[in-house]
Amino acid sequence: MASRPTSEPSPPTLPLEHLAELSSAAGEDRALLALRNQARESLTPLLLPDRARHLWRYTDPTRFLPDTDPTDLTPTDVGPTWRLEEPLSVAGLLAGGALRVVEVDAHARKAGVVVEDLHTAQASEFLGKAVSESHGFVEAINTAAWRGGVLVRVPAGIELEHPIRLRIVAGPLTVPRVLVVAGEGSSFEIIEGHVGGDGSRGKVLGVTEIFAESRANVRYGLVQRWDPGVVGHLTTRARVAAGARFQMSLASFGGSTFKADVGAILAGEGAEVETTGVAMGGDEQHFDHHTEHIHEAGKTLSNLDFKVALTHAARSAYTGMIRIARHAGGSEAYQENRNLLLSHDARAESIPELEILTDDVRCSHGATVAPIDPEQLFYLQSRGLANLQAMRVIVYGFLDQTLARLPQTTRERIEALVAARLHTE
Amino acid sequence: MSDSSQPVFSCKDVHVWIADKEVVKGVDLEISAGEIHAIMGPNGSGKSTLANALMGHPAYTLEGTVKLAGEDVTSLSPDEKARKGMFLAFQYPVAVPGVTVASFLRAAVSAVRGTETPVREFRKELLSRMEDLAMDPAFAGRYLNDGFSGGEKKRLEILQLLMLKPRFALLDETDSGLDIDALKVVAEGINAAASQDVGMVLVTHYQRLLNYVRPHVVHVFMDGRIVRTGGPELALELEERGYDWLEPAAAGGV
Repeated sequence: MASRPTSEPSPPTLPLEHLAELSSAAGEDRALLALRNQARESLTPLLLPDRARHLWRYTDPTRFLPDTDPTDLTPTDVGPTWRLEEPLSVAGLLAGGALRVVEVDAHARKAGVVVEDLHTAQASEFLGKAVSESHGFVEAINTAAWRGGVLVRVPAGIELEHPIRLRIVAGPLTVPRVLVVAGEGSSFEIIEGHVGGDGSRGKVLGVTEIFAESRANVRYGLVQRWDPGVVGHLTTRARVAAGARFQMSLASFGGSTFKADVGAILAGEGAEVETTGVAMGGDEQHFDHHTEHIHEAGKTLSNLDFKVALTHAARSAYTGMIRIARHAGGSEAYQENRNLLLSHDARAESIPELEILTDDVRCSHGATVAPIDPEQLFYLQSRGLANLQAMRVIVYGFLDQTLARLPQTTRERIEALVAARLHTE
Repeated sequence: MSDSSQPVFSCKDVHVWIADKEVVKGVDLEISAGEIHAIMGPNGSGKSTLANALMGHPAYTLEGTVKLAGEDVTSLSPDEKARKGMFLAFQYPVAVPGVTVASFLRAAVSAVRGTETPVREFRKELLSRMEDLAMDPAFAGRYLNDGFSGGEKKRLEILQLLMLKPRFALLDETDSGLDIDALKVVAEGINAAASQDVGMVLVTHYQRLLNYVRPHVVHVFMDGRIVRTGGPELALELEERGYDWLEPAAAGGV
């Protein structure tokens, strides 16, 4: 049998004993180690995706291969401390491969909200059930070797006034895992913020799973503002039960190469999913966003509005999957992706992917890639706004139209980030 | 206004090209503070091109000299002209979705006045001007020209005229697409601006706005040139006889 050339990049082998060591150092139970080993089994060189496959047509998968051993337990710098400046129900910080800070306010504590280290939490009922190791090689690496994880569980019927905020700090190699379980009829906002980047050398392979049980109302934000130079892949899947509502906001700003694979499975009748996103890229940033709205049950509704603004030589690819199963009649799905190019060298692609297996649906999609409208620019300039300021106003408006759909706190936060980003361009 | 020593606006021998087509073929104008000139002409005569080119539209090439209060502004960018007190009310105001009327106007007022107006003060001024123009206060929170009716867009142009207080304003077909009530409101705004010494050029091809705004001077514009200049009575004559009697001999060949 011909051996593969050693230069060919392949997924890490992850020695069994290293996984056992990681697992025991974190105090995990046997079931969790078994899941890690199972994921490790699937990590064969063949698992590296073919570039011709749609999900990897725009981004070289080998960029996400770890260049150090993910199971290396050498302690790393935890990074800056976190000052909380707003009322929160829960604050959780994942840094240096561990859950560092957890604050739960009195109301949430009394209501029975659970925030636990995922390594030692009893979560086998959920872990790997929304994102399995067979999802892809990044998810397999994560499932086998994740380090630093958090379980957030909001009991049935509990409504939280203040958001839950999770902050994940990128180190040299960061493999975080987040699990959120929203009990029946619960209602809350949860924001997963990604920051840091170890002086721009960081690599992040993250997986988040969310379970919205029946009639739950979950507003989830994924805000990525890594240091320049960070390479990262984040996968999020939500399983949305009957009558539950899942609102996802994406805001992508940082890193050098960022691939996001995010989506929701509308698993129960009457489930609703709304995805709202903005991405702003500059310099030579490369963004690759993939969204999936998978309608597995009837009378489900999904809506997606994703905006991208690019300057310099930034690149963006967007692929948006809508799948409506044969037995998911009476469903509706809408998707819109708009890309604004602010320079000659910026490039964006937008590819809707529809798999509609029943006739009993309403579905629409739209995509545009366009430079800034010179008539808009002239109009604003004729009112005294200098060229750069006029462009900022147009970009802000372009993105803000979409942000207007978000819950107030997330909206304000993302608007501030958009404004800050605009002023550095 | 006849005693003004210096015109607020003047242009001399202005030619405008779109690509290599000459659309405006030598125009001279002189407007004093508080003076209203009407430029009337048939569709396609180049009068809108003239207005846009004077403001500095990037698609047009302008030759000649443009002066604001004696200062040569020919080669300035549109925003520089605006900050020096020039204004163009658009025939087709552009929608900028996601940007509210209030936030846009505050940015424009700050840019033109060269100083930030405190929010409270700005809001008060805005609401009072909107009331003058019979505009619903909810208007301030709507996205700029996005989904506006023709009449709403034109009112908003006049609102900007009153808020930005230019020295000189070009109003491009501000009367088109208005019902009679809106036309009256717009005319009141124009008269209010004139009474505050704004010099103005109204570009139009209808006479009806001139029932409510009395111009000091009327120019007839055809085939890229001013072919005739007179008093308000010229507008009435055009209304009665159309433009054909003025057709320049050179353009009459078949």
